[in-house]
Amino acid sequence: MSECNTRDLYEQLARRYEGNDQITVQLIDSTDPAINVTMHDHGDMQVQIAASGSQIFVSTVLCDAELVRDRDAFNDACMRINPINPLSNLGLSNFGGRDTYIVFGELSASSCADDVDEELQALAINTIDAAETLKSHFTGS
Amino acid sequence: MGILTKLYTLLRGVSHDTGQGVVDKNAITILDQEIRDTSTQLNTSRQELAKLMAQSKLSDQKIQARSQKVAEYTRYIEGALAKGDEDLAREVAGKLAPLETEQQADQSAKTHLDRSIGTLKATIHKAEAQVKGLRVQVDTVKATASVQKAQMAIASRTAGATSGMSNALESLERIKQRQLETSARLEASEELDASSGDGDLNRKLAAAGLLEDSSSADAVLARFRKPAQLSHDVPTIIGTVVQDDQVGVPRTTDTP
Repeated sequence: MSECNTRDLYEQLARRYEGNDQITVQLIDSTDPAINVTMHDHGDMQVQIAASGSQIFVSTVLCDAELVRDRDAFNDACMRINPINPLSNLGLSNFGGRDTYIVFGELSASSCADDVDEELQALAINTIDAAETLKSHFTGS
Repeated sequence: MGILTKLYTLLRGVSHDTGQGVVDKNAITILDQEIRDTSTQLNTSRQELAKLMAQSKLSDQKIQARSQKVAEYTRYIEGALAKGDEDLAREVAGKLAPLETEQQADQSAKTHLDRSIGTLKATIHKAEAQVKGLRVQVDTVKATASVQKAQMAIASRTAGATSGMSNALESLERIKQRQLETSARLEASEELDASSGDGDLNRKLAAAGLLEDSSSADAVLARFRKPAQLSHDVPTIIGTVVQDDQVGVPRTTDTP
């Protein structure tokens, strides 16, 4: 199994999107580096990518759980949408004490930049679709 | 407790502990421990397997050797009986009988041993798959943690008043806003397109001094003056323009 690290992946993606004004790639460099991708043609959606050992993890924020009016009903809706959402998963994570719904996908670390690009496009489309479908559950809607 | 249950319990605990939201080192520690435990078991199982396989081999050699002895005695008995030496045949049979009993016992023991070897091999295979699965899980947890840290870093950088995190709802809103802008732009440019033919013509006419603004003071005055100037003024203007534009230039060059 070929291993892949986030910095290498960043180099690959930066080359892949060079001159592409629809996508901005940025390396968030820390002890645990991650890549922040801004997809301008998908409403400036921000997607985060990290590679570790055998896997590449691609994730974006659907919404803060506080924006959800009825969590039980929303969770139910998410569970139903998940199987029909191709290639992406809905999940619940906790960022700094805040429950946050995410949409994510996983790739094998042997994936090339084109595979990651495909995943990014699918993730962006699926996330917007999910937001649109789940719209009635959000406060202020 | 299954590893997923442990991780889930950990995450639930963590989610109530503010500021510790990221899948942290604890998860990795649990997984690393699990990998170590499973690896230790795996090693023990492998040693056990080696022992059993050695026993099986020895037992096999013993059974082989004994079956040669049994064949030998059988031949002796057959020979003695052929010669009618009943006593000799009986004496050899007396030696063969316990040998056969031992052989049966050893064979059944070996069958049992081989079954254990099979089970142990399956267990090892399972444990190996488990270790591999746990390593993948460690990778997932590490990648998830990195992404979560990045998301938190981005959130604090773009510190919004409401939720801090840029989310899909905002993207959806922006997409809709842009779609509205695009369709408004399209409509506007369609309107422009529809009138652009006239616009061009009007510009040309205005440049030629032919476009009369009927509402201007000059135009109103002109209307009053019309009867008096009709005889030469209007044809003169048109004539000048036509001459300047089409006929005038060649004519001036032609004129010697």
